[in-house]
Amino acid sequence: MPTQTRRAGGFLLWFAVLGGALAWALHLVLAWGVDELTCRSGNTSVGGIPIRGIVGAGVVVPALITLAALLLAWRGWRRATAARDDDDDPRMERTGMMLLIGMCANALFLSIIAAGGAAVLVLSPCQ
Amino acid sequence: MSVETEEQARPASRSEAVAALEKDWGERPSLRSWFSTVDHKRIGRRYMVTAGIFFILAGTDAMILRTQLARPNATVLSPEAYDQLFTMHGTAMIFLFSTPMFFGFGNFLVPLMIGARDMAFPRLNAFGYWVFAFAGTVMFSSQLVGRAPDGGWFGYVPLTDTPYSSGINLDVYSLGLLFLGVSTTAGAINFIVTVVKMRAPGMSLNRVPLFVWAIVGTSFMVIFALPALNVANAMLFLDRRFGAHFFDPAHGGNTLLWQHLFWIFGHPDVYIIVMPALGIVSAVLPAFCRRGVVAYPLMVLAIVTISIISFGVWVHHMFATGLPQLSYSFFSAASTLITIPSGIQIFAWLFTMLRGRIVVRTPFLFVVGFIVTFVLGGFTGVMFAITAFDQQVTDSYFVVAHFHYVLFGGAVFPMIAGIYYWLPKFTGKMYAEKLSRWAFWLVFIGFNTTFMPMHVSGLLGMPRRIYTYPGDLGWDLWNLISTIGAYVLAVGLLLVLIGVLQAIRRGRLAPDDPWGGDTLEWATTSPPRPYNFVTVPTVHSVHPMWDERTTAALATDPPLPDHQAMATSELDGREEGAIEMPEASLLPLVSALGILVVVLGLLWGWYWFAGAGALLIFGTVARWMWPPERTPEEAGVAS
Repeated sequence: MPTQTRRAGGFLLWFAVLGGALAWALHLVLAWGVDELTCRSGNTSVGGIPIRGIVGAGVVVPALITLAALLLAWRGWRRATAARDDDDDPRMERTGMMLLIGMCANALFLSIIAAGGAAVLVLSPCQ
Repeated sequence: MSVETEEQARPASRSEAVAALEKDWGERPSLRSWFSTVDHKRIGRRYMVTAGIFFILAGTDAMILRTQLARPNATVLSPEAYDQLFTMHGTAMIFLFSTPMFFGFGNFLVPLMIGARDMAFPRLNAFGYWVFAFAGTVMFSSQLVGRAPDGGWFGYVPLTDTPYSSGINLDVYSLGLLFLGVSTTAGAINFIVTVVKMRAPGMSLNRVPLFVWAIVGTSFMVIFALPALNVANAMLFLDRRFGAHFFDPAHGGNTLLWQHLFWIFGHPDVYIIVMPALGIVSAVLPAFCRRGVVAYPLMVLAIVTISIISFGVWVHHMFATGLPQLSYSFFSAASTLITIPSGIQIFAWLFTMLRGRIVVRTPFLFVVGFIVTFVLGGFTGVMFAITAFDQQVTDSYFVVAHFHYVLFGGAVFPMIAGIYYWLPKFTGKMYAEKLSRWAFWLVFIGFNTTFMPMHVSGLLGMPRRIYTYPGDLGWDLWNLISTIGAYVLAVGLLLVLIGVLQAIRRGRLAPDDPWGGDTLEWATTSPPRPYNFVTVPTVHSVHPMWDERTTAALATDPPLPDHQAMATSELDGREEGAIEMPEASLLPLVSALGILVVVLGLLWGWYWFAGAGALLIFGTVARWMWPPERTPEEAGVAS
C-alpha cells in the first residue's frame, strides 16, 4: 500500500497537477516584471545582464519546469489507470482524474508560456 | 432480533430520530430568530433577495441612463447626475448584485449538494450576509442624497483622487468596497472549508458536482484577487483623506499603480462573476438532457485553469497605457489561450445536448440563451486580446457591448435559469411555465436589441460614459434602438419577478424532485428541513440521485443524531467523525454593526465614532471566539 498511498497524495502528485500553473506564474512575474520595471527606469540591463537574456530565462526555465510536470503527470496517469484496472481502490480513480487534469493543464500552460515567449524573439524589450 | 422485528423497529426509530432532529435544528419564528439565524438556507435566500433588490435599483439607474441617451442633446439628466448613475449602475451590478446573488445560490445549494447539514462556519456565514446588506445600504443611500460615487466603477486615478474629485462621493466608493470585501472574503473562506471538509462520505474529488467545483474555484479567486482591490481602495482613501500621495506622481506616487491593482482584481472578477453561472449551467443541463454533462474531468480542468489563468490577463485592460509591447505579449498570449478552457465548457454543453434527450422547459431555454450570448461576448473578448484591435476600440461603446454580452449573457441568463430550476427547493412552489416562457423571449430579444447596436455605435466612434451627444455623428438610430431594447428587457425581467412572486403566493406545491435531478439537493424535501438530511448520504457516483446505491443508503443508513454534522477527509471524502454545529446567535449581526459604525465614522470624519465601532467589534469577536464548555467529543477533537 505505501506505493499507492504515494500515488494518491504527496508532493509529486501536487507537482504533477499544479507544477505548470506555478511555473507560468513564475514566468509572468519574472518576464513581465523585469521588462516593465527595467524599461520604465530607462535601463536595458540588470546587473550587466541584458533584459532579453533575463526575459529569455524567464521563458525557458518555467517552460522546462512545466514540461517536467507534464511528463510526471502523464507517467502517473498511466500508472493510476493501470492500478485502477488491477485494484478496486476508489482512490485510484480520484488520483487518475487529478493527473489527467494536471496533464491537460500543464500542456495549456506550456502553450501560454511558449506563445508569450515567442515575442522575445521578435520584439526588442523596451519597444 | 428477527428480520421482521428489525423492519418494524426501524420506521419507529427513524420517526423518533426525525422528531429529535426537528427539535434540535428547528427555529421558532420570532423577531430574534430572524436576526440570529445561522441556517444556510435562510441566509442564502436573504442574499438572493437583497441582491435582487440592489439589481432593481441598479437596473432603474440603467433605464434612466438609456432614456437620457435615446435622443441626441437630451436633458433628462445633468452631467453630474449622469456620472453618479453610471458609476452606481456598474459598481452595484458588479459588487452588490452579481457576486452576492451567486453567493446566495452557493449558500443555499452547496451544503445540500455535498450532503452536509450546514456551512462549516454558520455564524461567519450570517456575519457575511449582514456586512453585505449594510455595505449595499450605505452605497445606495449615498445616491439618495446626491453623494454617490461618480468616477466610474473602476475608479481610475487621478480623476478619483483629490483635487479632481472633491466631496465624499469617492470616499463612499473606497470605504463601501472595503466594507463589502469583508463579507466576500468571509463567504469565500467558508465555501472552501465547507467543501473541503464537509462533503458526504464517499464524495471524493472526482464525484463533486460541477456547480460546487465552480463555487470553490470562485472562492479561491476571491481570496487571491480581493486583497489587491482592498489595498487599492485603502490607498485611495488615505490619498484622499490624509494626502498620502500613493497615486500622485508629483510626490513619488504612480497613477498606473491603481490600474494594475484594480485589474489584478478586476479581471479575475469577471470570472468570479461568470464561474458560478457556468456551474449553474452544468447543474441545470443534466436534468433537461436526461444525462450527465459529458467530459466531467475536462469540465473540472476548465474550472481550475480558468481560475488560475484569469490572474495573468489583467494587462489587456491596459493595452492603451503605453507599457512595453513585449509586456503586452505575455498577457495577450494568456488572454487568447484562456478561451480554450472556456471553449471546452461550451462544447461539453453542446455535446451533452446532442447526446441527451432534451426536455424543453424554461430553465433550459435560459441556458440556450446563455450559450448564444456568452459565445458572442467571448468572440469579441478574443478580439480584445489582440493588442492592435484593443487600442482601436478601447473606451468606446464596443467595450460596453462586449462586457454586457459577457456579464449579462454569461451571468444573468444562467442566474434566471437557476432561479426557475431551484425555485421548488427555494420556496417549495412551482412556477407557471407559460409566463416564464414569455419572460424568456422578452429578455432574450430585449437583451440583444439593447446591446447588439452598441457594437455599431462603438465602431462608429461613440465613447462610453458621455452624458449626451450631438445629432450629426450617425449614432442616433443605434442609441434609439438600444433604448427601446432596454425597455423590452425591463418588461421581460419584470415578468420573471412577477412569476417568482406568483409562484410563492399561488404556485402549486413542489414535489421533492420535480426534474429528476442528479445531485443530492433533490434528495431533500421541498423546501428542505432545517437539518437538510436525516441520514448523511454515502455517495457512490458523480450522479448520486441516479445511483441506486446512494439512494438506497439514504433510505436505510442510520440517522446522524443531535445538532451535528459530518467531517470528512479532503481528497477522498473518508468519514472522520461528527462535529457539533454552532447554535443561532446575535453576535454576527452585532459584529457587522460594529464594522458599519467604523465605516460611517471614517466616512464622516468622526474618528471617535469609528474608534467606538472598533471597540464594539473587538468585544463582540472576543465573545464570539470565547471557548464554549464542550466535551472533546462535542468539539469533534476526541481521539
